[in-house]
Amino acid sequence: MNVEIDPALAEKKLRTLVEEFGVNIPEAEKTVTENLAKEHNVATVPSQSSDLREIGTLVPGEWATVEGKVVGLSRPVSDSISQSGIIADTSGAIQFIAWARSNLPPLTEGRSYRVESVVVDEYRGVPKIKFHAGTTITEIEKDIPCLPQATKVADLRPGIASVRVKMVQEWEARHERILQTGIVGDESGTLKFTIWKEEGVERLEPETVYNIFYASVDEYQGRLSITLNGAKCFPEEDGELSVGIGGTTLTGAIVNIGPGSGLIKRCPVEGCNRVLSKRNYCPVHEVQNDFRYDLRIKAVLDDGAKAHNILMQKEVVEAVAGLTLDEAVKTVQESPLGMDDIFYRLRDALMGRYYACRGGDLGDTLLVKECTPLGFDGERHAALLNRLGGEINAS
Amino acid sequence: MPAETLRYEREPARRVFAAELREATHHFKDGEDEKSPTYVLLPTGERCNRVLFIGSMTHKEKKGEQNVFYSVRVADPTGTFFVNASSFQQEAMTQVSKIDPPAFVAVVGKPNVYEAPDGRVFVSVRAESVTVVDKEMRNRWVLDAAEQTLKRIEAYGQTPDSQRAQERYNADMATYKRMVYEALTQITL
Repeated sequence: MNVEIDPALAEKKLRTLVEEFGVNIPEAEKTVTENLAKEHNVATVPSQSSDLREIGTLVPGEWATVEGKVVGLSRPVSDSISQSGIIADTSGAIQFIAWARSNLPPLTEGRSYRVESVVVDEYRGVPKIKFHAGTTITEIEKDIPCLPQATKVADLRPGIASVRVKMVQEWEARHERILQTGIVGDESGTLKFTIWKEEGVERLEPETVYNIFYASVDEYQGRLSITLNGAKCFPEEDGELSVGIGGTTLTGAIVNIGPGSGLIKRCPVEGCNRVLSKRNYCPVHEVQNDFRYDLRIKAVLDDGAKAHNILMQKEVVEAVAGLTLDEAVKTVQESPLGMDDIFYRLRDALMGRYYACRGGDLGDTLLVKECTPLGFDGERHAALLNRLGGEINAS
Repeated sequence: MPAETLRYEREPARRVFAAELREATHHFKDGEDEKSPTYVLLPTGERCNRVLFIGSMTHKEKKGEQNVFYSVRVADPTGTFFVNASSFQQEAMTQVSKIDPPAFVAVVGKPNVYEAPDGRVFVSVRAESVTVVDKEMRNRWVLDAAEQTLKRIEAYGQTPDSQRAQERYNADMATYKRMVYEALTQITL
């Protein structure tokens, strides 16, 4: 049944609610629609599941209706899923999953849809919407405009986000399904990225600035990382971006250098990288004589009130101890103490000294990216003396 | 998360001047367990299971016959720390064996209160690590110890540990303030 309504009147009612009574727009729309429906004696569509909602405001546990544009499709991770991807409107973007047994028509990338009655869910803190048998999907004529806003790395939260970042570091892949992994960053900080092997995906070029639209941000053990499968990555020609380290800075004295520090051997099996025992034994791949050497320090940085675990990888160790990996390998081959020689050398160089360590928090350990030795601070000395001298001379 | 709170947390190394540590006589165990940590209560009012200090190693002596150990003296601007390194701290013992006094050293270790047969109570530190450092590091440590001691003095009477210290020692905080001041004035660049 169709009814004629006066758009001007509806608008006036909306304005009154929004401007005079401070009602938010979705709630105002809902009130006006309901009142009109009542007035004309028509049933509104079931309220709970068909509230049209902005994607950026969805909260896990809700049922909702969204209108958005499909901005990315990814390969479903399981046979029980027929399609997965990302749907966006002006307010944000969210991952969607369509269950195979719901027999829903597949969505096409770049087109806009009204999707009624979806469930908002979350997995590891990342909100997602799920299409089920009761979901109705209608392609809509109007193009939903969506201009992705870049989020600063330091402000990222789990979910879907767009960023402008530079690829600054490539790591050795630890898993055969990984195409590329490493670090991207902007002025506000850095984070790990992963690209899984998949048809049509490409690697990032080191030292290149990218505009990345609709990447998924995940959280694992309190640490964020970004997955680029399904995202659109556009390199910027001559793009300039200075990458800040971000993260946390801790200062204190090194009071312990843990076992497993110094020169270590890593398992050469692709994607393994585990540390081998002194007898070249990998807990998974058994004896590996074709290992590769690495340098690292597991230490405790103590500020007098708390002892913090810190981990320094090769580059940081080389810089702070003034010892390169090559020199360390050469030393070990000539020294009667073998690998222990490097451990003692690092211990004697670092123990009991003060440092400022800056890096990313790995839960209970700081992954150090920058380590600066701290010396005597004359200003602090003067400030302490003044603070005490005044009091003592006065008393 | 419960797993978070159950996780072993390493005791921080307190910065304490020799003159204060010498006055600490009260020690206690936190909990009934055999493995519960033991603490020395500092007169300025903080429990301490581990210390870090940097000073001049002035004297080193090899002692014992069957169980060899090193007895070391380390001086800071306020007094002397007595340090032991025995075969139970193999690493520290090896480190000490290679150092010839006088030298600036950084010592990480655990303080212990002993009672001599004649009733005298004294504190010594069982070294975990002894490394040679330079004078600048020593000066840095003096600033650190000064600041942390002042922090304890300022919180005196306001924490359970310092209330306990008040009962046990009834120390005069003004004396410790003066100690900090004098330690600072002795830094020469």
